[in-house]
Amino acid sequence: MKRKLLSVTLMIAMVACLFTGCSKNDGSSKTGSNNAGSKTSDQVTLTVWCWDPKFNCFAMDTAGEIYAKDHPNVKVEVIETAWNDIQTKLTTAVTGQSNTLPDIILMQDNALAKNIINYPDAFFDLTNSGIKFDQFASFKTALGTVNGKNYSVPFDNGAAITCYRTDILEQAGYTIDDFTNITWKEFIEKGKVVLEKTGKPLLSNQAGSPDLLMLMMQSAGAWVLDENGKPNFKDNAVLKEVIDTYVELEKSGVLVEVNDWDQYVSSINSTTVAGAMNGCWIIATVTSAADQSGLWGVTNIPKLSCAGATNYSSQGGSSWLVCANSKNKDVAADFLGATFGGSVELYETILPSSGALATYLPAGESAAYAKPQDFFRGDTIYLKITEYASKVPQVSYGVYNYEARDAIGTAITKIVAGTDYNTAISEAQKELEFQMGQ
Amino acid sequence: MKIRLPLEKRRKLVSWLFLLPATLLIAGMSFYPMIKAFLLSFTKGFGKTSEFVGTYNYQRLFQDSLFKTALGNTFIYLIIQVPLMLILALILASLLNNPKIKCKGLFRTMIFLPCATSLVSYSIIFRSMFALDGFANSVLMNLNVINKPINWIGEIWPARIIIILAITWRWTGYNMIFYLSGLQNIDPQIYESAKIDGASASQQFRKITIPLLKPIILLTAIMSTNGTLQLFDETKNLTNGGPANMTISISQYIYKLSFEYSPQFGYAATISFIVFLLVAVLSFLQMKVGDKRD
Amino acid sequence: MTKAKIRYFFAYAFLILVSFISVFPLLWMLISATNTSLDVIRGKMSFGTALVDNFKQLVQTTQIGQALINSFRNAFVLTIMSLLVCSLAGYAFEIYHDKWKDGVMKLLLLSMMVPFAATMIPLFTWFGKMNLINTTAGFMLPSISTAFLIFLFRQSSRSFPYEIVEAARLEGMSEIRIFTRIFVPIMKPTYAAAITVTFMNAWNSYLWPLVILQDKKSQTMPILISNLISGYTINYGVLMLAVSISTLPTILIFFVLQKNFTEGITGAVK
Repeated sequence: MKRKLLSVTLMIAMVACLFTGCSKNDGSSKTGSNNAGSKTSDQVTLTVWCWDPKFNCFAMDTAGEIYAKDHPNVKVEVIETAWNDIQTKLTTAVTGQSNTLPDIILMQDNALAKNIINYPDAFFDLTNSGIKFDQFASFKTALGTVNGKNYSVPFDNGAAITCYRTDILEQAGYTIDDFTNITWKEFIEKGKVVLEKTGKPLLSNQAGSPDLLMLMMQSAGAWVLDENGKPNFKDNAVLKEVIDTYVELEKSGVLVEVNDWDQYVSSINSTTVAGAMNGCWIIATVTSAADQSGLWGVTNIPKLSCAGATNYSSQGGSSWLVCANSKNKDVAADFLGATFGGSVELYETILPSSGALATYLPAGESAAYAKPQDFFRGDTIYLKITEYASKVPQVSYGVYNYEARDAIGTAITKIVAGTDYNTAISEAQKELEFQMGQ
Repeated sequence: MKIRLPLEKRRKLVSWLFLLPATLLIAGMSFYPMIKAFLLSFTKGFGKTSEFVGTYNYQRLFQDSLFKTALGNTFIYLIIQVPLMLILALILASLLNNPKIKCKGLFRTMIFLPCATSLVSYSIIFRSMFALDGFANSVLMNLNVINKPINWIGEIWPARIIIILAITWRWTGYNMIFYLSGLQNIDPQIYESAKIDGASASQQFRKITIPLLKPIILLTAIMSTNGTLQLFDETKNLTNGGPANMTISISQYIYKLSFEYSPQFGYAATISFIVFLLVAVLSFLQMKVGDKRD
Repeated sequence: MTKAKIRYFFAYAFLILVSFISVFPLLWMLISATNTSLDVIRGKMSFGTALVDNFKQLVQTTQIGQALINSFRNAFVLTIMSLLVCSLAGYAFEIYHDKWKDGVMKLLLLSMMVPFAATMIPLFTWFGKMNLINTTAGFMLPSISTAFLIFLFRQSSRSFPYEIVEAARLEGMSEIRIFTRIFVPIMKPTYAAAITVTFMNAWNSYLWPLVILQDKKSQTMPILISNLISGYTINYGVLMLAVSISTLPTILIFFVLQKNFTEGITGAVK
């Protein structure tokens, strides 16, 4: 009987313990936004979600140190959170009306419009916070501007570049200059020569990934949604040219499709292909093959033949947002303005060790940006990229960016597999209209 | 001295007490949010902009070609993969329950390993093994089974086969351990006397093992049906739904609708309830067939 | 005799083949953990020398110690609670079965059929109101009682010899003692299976801990790994090392418990 009593008591105790939550984690039950006081003289801790320890987390930590010099009461606490996880937590918190968001969130540019428009109350309007938005590359500030209000402080640069293995180009009789300021037609012609003479395709791309196509679209200032935000696939001449170009790249063997990101990285690092075209953050991947130092060169991307076509575009990149629920939102805004929106020192510090390239244009004038890079044959690639960034055409990705990208990805897969262009595109248009017509 | 309830009544009371904590927890943690989600399926928008739209979301389903694709894919996985895996698991379990087989512990552990292996690592290796220049193609080419490499992940049926292989690889050992634990409840003497009567190994398997394991087989069948209809990890990590959505699963679509796309929670909840209905009907049928006490 | 030998030969061949296929990715993972990222991405298939460097980097850039402790504590407590609550219920559903209980069981089974993505947000909203965010209780409550475990114990109890229960009652044993003294020891194989899978599920659980345990100190292994693959440049060697470390506990638990799968004592009791 005693044993029975014991086991029952134990069980009740355990269940009771659960329900009352006696096992709270280390007593710190709330995340940052609540644990700091609102008075400026108090200690203020700004919590930040971002996702790459060597890249944006490092940049944020550095910004925190710089800001603390003038504001010793302000501390920055970075909570490393994968981008997908940030999106999940953000969606859950906003829909669940809970106050679990940090003070500052880093967001992929692709998701900026979606989240700002869907959750208008979740983010703090930075328009009148004193941040000088005109000092950033204009296409970046445009992405975070909704109804004339600025919500985001641009961070890293997604300006498109093409990296080439100059040694392979030389074998085919080319230099990097032959691939600078060219058109896609020329690119394919020269690519065929390189393939014939060296057996190396110029590019690799993840099959079914819309990234490269979107990059090409933006280079002409065009998008798959019209100015009213309606799907614009069917009579979109730029899209037609982009897809035709892609199909020709693939058919001629100048571009080889791989199945996933790992194989994409592998194709670049193992010299399966002679180049890489992407947002400039791809440099980190290219340079990770240290044994190829001195062999790579960087230049801009080819341009389309349609009106408005340029050799510049953007892919990826991210921006900082301040959460409206934050008790320290004014401090957070001031912090971002003083560091990411005002400190050349910050960008100078983070560039050499993280390769984090700014869209804050004054940073381009610093000495760090003018330093020749041995990996790229002594070229001053950072100056180059900063210049590219200032020329990227503006487009508005819109709320349904991910739906649109998926529709394009599906369409290109079908077209490469042999489906007729018009059929695939009208299916994509229908698919997107369905998702948007909720 | 003590005042006792009649024994039968007392037992009845105790029996309900035994299952009370578990039942209450499920009611609170599953049914309550389920009802909430069900109500959500009659709305669109979210937060302050949420509005009641009646059966609009349910009508939308019929025009949703991606939903139909996902549903079709999921059924392909279900029909091929679940029987394949359960039969394989049964065979392995009965082999490893055979007292004459040596090194059983080692075999058991090795066959269990896949479900402990992290999704991250196994999806990387599956993808690289089935890459165009990967291991699978070079083996098949060397054996002259094929004369040109198969684009496993880039073509519809090969990609589906990869997913089916991957789920089978990952969950066979998992199901095997339930069979192994279930086999312990079968008296070895039954096998002994069957052997004396001259029953062959396959006869023993069909006439003794399967009927006596029926409760556990029912359990694994319901679990696997449920697992396959809620399949997410494999399609997300191996093919990401591609090529052209031809391997996307329903759960991956729900995830997209909730967290990738501009959120459509009402519609996502609607699709969830279709999954719910499907699993419920299938499980009900399986219970009808398999849950008789004889 | 030769026929039997051939049969055993095929049995072994089959087992060895299946084992090899099962172990191969794990082996590859361990090999990758000893290589540099570049070697991994280039498909090197032999052991390398980067293990120490990978380990150093893992320890420096992540809080893997804290994450291991968190994961272990969460999984351990959850497994114990879960087994206690569910085995008792599963036992009751079968031993005292009547049409009402069969009905309740069927109802409970329905609970596992709705995708978690759909119930997560309502549950999160509710937990937010009850101040359960960032608490261990908040993490555990949804997964203590699962229809699957209850069902497992119910189905396994089906072959449990009812005569033993009646004999024990005649000897004046209370109902709870019959459960703890007789049922639990006999059902050791089922408990072993249940512990293995419950621990594994708790160890690997991802979406719910992600949203409910937002504190920096509560990071678990799956979330740490998710962070490792989200960078612009993934260090595959470090990633594979983290993944290997994260796989170990489940394998260890299985290895310790697997003897129980074939050391059932039902035969001895009968």
